[in-house]
Amino acid sequence: MKRILFNIRQVTVREIFRMSSGSLILMVTLILPVASTLFFWSLMKEGVPDKMPVAVVDLDQTQTSRKLIRNIDITPLSQVIMQPESIAEALSELRKGNIYGFVVIPENLQADILASRQPVISYYYQNSFLIAGGLMQNDLTMILHTLSGGINIQKREAMGQNEEEIMAQVQPVSLNTHLLFNPWSNYSVYVTSIVLPIMLQIFILLMTVYSIGIEIKEKTSREWLRTSGKSVVVALTGKLLPYTAIFFIVMMFQNFILYKVLGIPMHANVGWLVLISLIYVLSYQAVGIFFIGLLPLMRHGLNLSAFYAILALSLCGFSYPVEYMPSIFRFWAEAFPVRHYMHIFQRQILAGGDLFYSLPDYLFMLLFLLLPFTVLYRLKSALIHQNHIEDLPQSYHQITHA
Amino acid sequence: MKNWSQSNSFYIGFQQMTAAMRHEIRLIFSDAGVLIILFAVPLIYPVLYSFIYYPEVVRDLPIAVFDESASAQSRSYLRNLDATPEVSIAAHVRSMDEAARLFREGKVRGIVQIPSTFSDDIALGRQATVSAYADMEFFLYYKALVTGASFVTLETGRNIQIRNLTKTGYTDRQAEVTAEPLKLVENAMANPAGGFASYGIPAALILIIQQTLVLAIGIIAGSIREKQSGSVPKIIEYGGPGEIIRQLIGKAVVYFLIYAVLCQFMLGLIPSWFGYPRNADFIEIGILITPFLLSSIFLGQFLSVFFKNRESAMLLYLFTSIPLLFLSGVIWPLSNFSPLWQMVRALFPSSDAMTGYIKLNSLGAATGEISKETGLLWVMTAAYFVLAFMAHFFIHIRSKHLREEVIGTDMN
Repeated sequence: MKRILFNIRQVTVREIFRMSSGSLILMVTLILPVASTLFFWSLMKEGVPDKMPVAVVDLDQTQTSRKLIRNIDITPLSQVIMQPESIAEALSELRKGNIYGFVVIPENLQADILASRQPVISYYYQNSFLIAGGLMQNDLTMILHTLSGGINIQKREAMGQNEEEIMAQVQPVSLNTHLLFNPWSNYSVYVTSIVLPIMLQIFILLMTVYSIGIEIKEKTSREWLRTSGKSVVVALTGKLLPYTAIFFIVMMFQNFILYKVLGIPMHANVGWLVLISLIYVLSYQAVGIFFIGLLPLMRHGLNLSAFYAILALSLCGFSYPVEYMPSIFRFWAEAFPVRHYMHIFQRQILAGGDLFYSLPDYLFMLLFLLLPFTVLYRLKSALIHQNHIEDLPQSYHQITHA
Repeated sequence: MKNWSQSNSFYIGFQQMTAAMRHEIRLIFSDAGVLIILFAVPLIYPVLYSFIYYPEVVRDLPIAVFDESASAQSRSYLRNLDATPEVSIAAHVRSMDEAARLFREGKVRGIVQIPSTFSDDIALGRQATVSAYADMEFFLYYKALVTGASFVTLETGRNIQIRNLTKTGYTDRQAEVTAEPLKLVENAMANPAGGFASYGIPAALILIIQQTLVLAIGIIAGSIREKQSGSVPKIIEYGGPGEIIRQLIGKAVVYFLIYAVLCQFMLGLIPSWFGYPRNADFIEIGILITPFLLSSIFLGQFLSVFFKNRESAMLLYLFTSIPLLFLSGVIWPLSNFSPLWQMVRALFPSSDAMTGYIKLNSLGAATGEISKETGLLWVMTAAYFVLAFMAHFFIHIRSKHLREEVIGTDMN
């Protein structure tokens, strides 16, 4: 036992020396993860987009129409930046991307309202961007419904109905929407809480595959294995331990941004957060070992990691729900630790749900830790025989002598 | 005589260019890694993503209803709710606890509660309140429940109002106009169904083009540098500035031609197979994509001088892909970008190409309406060409110095 611990330490010391010799490692483990965390935080720090540019085509030019324009302008979400002369002109501005939506106030609006002729107000919004499209739709619909309701109320007041009665008459049924577990409709929190771990898993996978693959590529793997006392488990443990520590710290930094700076409410003990972060880092290191063990040629291992890591953005199901994907992807999605992490985050940390509901996800994440054992033998043989070294294609040899 | 030598030097230049082209083609087609990036990724990713998002919209979201009123009115409300395309009633529960349990177990994605006073309120002319509990964690679930419930609530309210008004002696038409003084007509430009793939895939297609181009060019350059490291750094020497230009252009032609073919598949066949918006024709897309491909190629050539080995290009690819998607303005609205991120955004051809492509294809913009994007892409083409030239020229000068030094030491 003592011998094993000593060997692990030897490998770790060796790794730390190797780490300090290359700038690439510093980039991947520290600079880029922190930079990407700050990027996503800073890009969306307003939480909800505000003052999005819209236009009004005012064909009426009366007191009523000008009041409507002011009403649109003062909502937090929109800002009337222009008043084009015609619908065609407004449509062109929309296509150019200068405005996200516009409202057309028809000729004779004021007169038609007074004469109860039910004038038609059309509104247009561009729906090719997810968040902007949804917000525009809600905002413009709400403003115009409020306007319509206001006219209804005014008319009833003129007829002498009392106020309480009017509200019930104008809106006999109201809808009260409650948001469960995320009482703010804050996109930044919604997006950032998942994108940060997704960026981190890219770096963990990349670093794990690279740090093992480079030993094979540069034929230092035998010396590495010798340092470990010829145990591949000791070799891997000693090598990856410093990265576990660094990535764990980076993840806690991300948690600091999420829970302290962005103010996501934490309804679980902080100990759970520490535990889940640690399991998260370890499970991705395990996936990394599995990939390089499966494809000990570094470039192929990296390609596989890249494919898998980028796919996590779609298949973890935070943007488009997995339940509504074709069934094969429902099984595939289970193969991403980040999906289980997301479940635990939502159910346990955000909602304060019982551990019972998150238990299957914890178990799944722990299962990933078993993955390396399926490729240990293959990896060890690759380390010893160094037979997965690719010579560059012939064409590269010709170029330098040309 | 003078004429002859001019045409001759032109001929030599042309020969150098075709030699560079032939050489690049040989490198590309003998390197399995590069072939995967150039052909497998652009062919597989669009198909894979299209299948992932195939159903596009959340329909029939399973919800639990807690009907405390159990009246004709509440049953009619729930029937209408069930009939909306957005939601479907999966369970009638007897308590909020039961609903919450189903919710935690993931059996339902939302809860609608109708209070016991619902029918009395309506009969007595008081405002009745329906409560909807939505899951904000999944944006599309929230949207589906709120859209469905709002629609039914507005309709129910309107019908009650009209009925009440006709009871007091209004004609049907009068009642309708009083309940709805304004007729509101909603027009969603592009993607009226709100399909998720139609939001994301067009942007992804453009991003894949830029990322694979930069990656492929980077892998080849990194491999050359990797081959040379260890020995005397005799990085490729050029005959002079003219030869650098001919080399850069010759290689660019090769990548341009390969991607011109790939674009037929990615921007032509994929949208037609999966029914994505296709408002632009071949020429309109060509006008936008030509400067996009060229600027991406020269960006790749510029960045390629920084790659020391085969892996470093992959690192850049992995690190930038997801942030570039967010920088484009497709997810987070551009009008809310800080000046800093506006500037960073402007550095990458993919940003303007993504928004330009969506405007052309989804919103039906004319070529003139995306002249800003096209113009910026041409500016980037020129800028990255100059940068690529300068970077290569710098290397040329440096390796010339190195060689002189090496020769100098040999002489001693």
